[in-house]
Amino acid sequence: MMRYIRLHRIFIAQYLKKLMEYKTDFLLGAIGLLLTQILQIAFLGIVFSQIPALIGWSFAEVLFIYGFSLIAKFLDHLFTDNLWMVGYRIIRKGEFDKYLTRPINTLYHVIAENFCVDAFGEALTCILLLLYSIPQLNMPFHWYTIPLLLVVIVFATLIYSSLKIITAAISFWTKASGHITHMLYMTNDFSKYPVSIYNKAVQTVITYVIPFAFTAYYPASYFLTGKDPLFCIGGTVIAGTVLFALALFVWNRGLKAYESAGS
Amino acid sequence: MSRVKRFFRTYKPFTRAGMQELIAYRANFICFLIGEIMSAFIMYFVWKAVFLSTDSETFMGFTMEDMVVYLFITFLTGYLTYSDGAFSVGEEIVDGSIAMRMIKPCSFEMCFLFQELGNRIISVAMIFVPIVAGVEIYRYAVSGMFRLQIGFFLLYIVSLLIAYMISFYFNVCYGFMAFFFKNLWGTTLIKETVVGFLSGAVIPLAFLPSGLAAVLNFLPFASLSYTPVMIYMGMYSYGEIAWRIGLQLFWLLVMYGVSKLVWRSAVKHLAVQGG
Repeated sequence: MMRYIRLHRIFIAQYLKKLMEYKTDFLLGAIGLLLTQILQIAFLGIVFSQIPALIGWSFAEVLFIYGFSLIAKFLDHLFTDNLWMVGYRIIRKGEFDKYLTRPINTLYHVIAENFCVDAFGEALTCILLLLYSIPQLNMPFHWYTIPLLLVVIVFATLIYSSLKIITAAISFWTKASGHITHMLYMTNDFSKYPVSIYNKAVQTVITYVIPFAFTAYYPASYFLTGKDPLFCIGGTVIAGTVLFALALFVWNRGLKAYESAGS
Repeated sequence: MSRVKRFFRTYKPFTRAGMQELIAYRANFICFLIGEIMSAFIMYFVWKAVFLSTDSETFMGFTMEDMVVYLFITFLTGYLTYSDGAFSVGEEIVDGSIAMRMIKPCSFEMCFLFQELGNRIISVAMIFVPIVAGVEIYRYAVSGMFRLQIGFFLLYIVSLLIAYMISFYFNVCYGFMAFFFKNLWGTTLIKETVVGFLSGAVIPLAFLPSGLAAVLNFLPFASLSYTPVMIYMGMYSYGEIAWRIGLQLFWLLVMYGVSKLVWRSAVKHLAVQGG
């Protein structure tokens, strides 16, 4: 374990050197992400200039949920962005052999290799939204709120990363699976809004099938109202654990099935 | 006449290649499409909630029915006018493979255009009919009458074709510029977000402050998406449509001119070593 922590420091140091060389590139990526989010929020602003509340949710509450949904999204984006490349390029081009020859866990190596600073565009939006919405809301606060929040963040991020690991691992069999990752990843947008706006079918899918609702709406609604902790927080922990176990299983099975594409 | 014939004979293989490419990667195409259309469905639910939360039948002049048509036809228009065929131009200039293109007896942008057309033919066949039919069935179910007006529909197709050509030449210019920036992902994200906003694909221009909306309506970006969608929805009178399509043609000419200029100056400064 200590060895991996030490390795991670080296990976990040290596990465920061690369970052210093291509400063503008990363700045552009971050600006792009920031702009995308700001325009979405401008849209919400226009909507709320005409209505007092969205089926019972005030503007501040909607912004809080929206901001909350970005926490796990940006953390996952920051740390595991390289998983996209597994499905898009690494396996198809035969670059995966490199990871197999190293004496460290392949999944860890793939993930640690890249550190996507562009995600700070999302982080900034997230912080601004939370700072703007929280003072307007009357949220219950206890001694356990902050520890609970940390737990939720860890498991919500695991939900994101595990879904990416599973879909990336499909390429061990099919050589390319970036489009499958893309398709599943896009459903995370559903979690930005209160789940109650969707019909039953969509609610079921984003709660039990692709549980992105547990990365944002459910825990956020618990922090807003203090209701249903077992389902809202427990669900996030269970969904994160189950998916992560599944992800490790699929990844390891995939490694056994992997045949190099040659290079 | 024979020149026209020769023209099409020259570029037909590119169209075929474009079609084959899409068919070969059809699983990618379908997954990508599902991922993209999801955002239209999310917005559908958001608007449904908005209309449930207000007492009035309309939201800034749009009914729920209008909103649904707007969302899905905007998605369709954006998808069909999306152009990245000329995107690799910048890369080819850097690595020198553009030389191979220049020695061939065909125009570089026509190669891209016809290849992309092959791609588009398949996408049109696969998504145009389902989306238009879906929207019209929805409208029929809501209002109890058939709302699609043939005149507006045909003019929509004309406007859509011009929008595609504007988008094509705009992206040729962007392709040239893109290679100055190394982070293609970042610049493309910025470009797409800004164009999406300016063209009214994120927020209908009618919802923006009137001064801003008037300016954006005149800029080339509205011609990419907002104009055809409004024509489809029957928001414009025939007189207004004539003027809008005229404006689209004007911007098409401008984009065409600019792309030619950029190409000329790039070729003049081009020096390929080896290759």
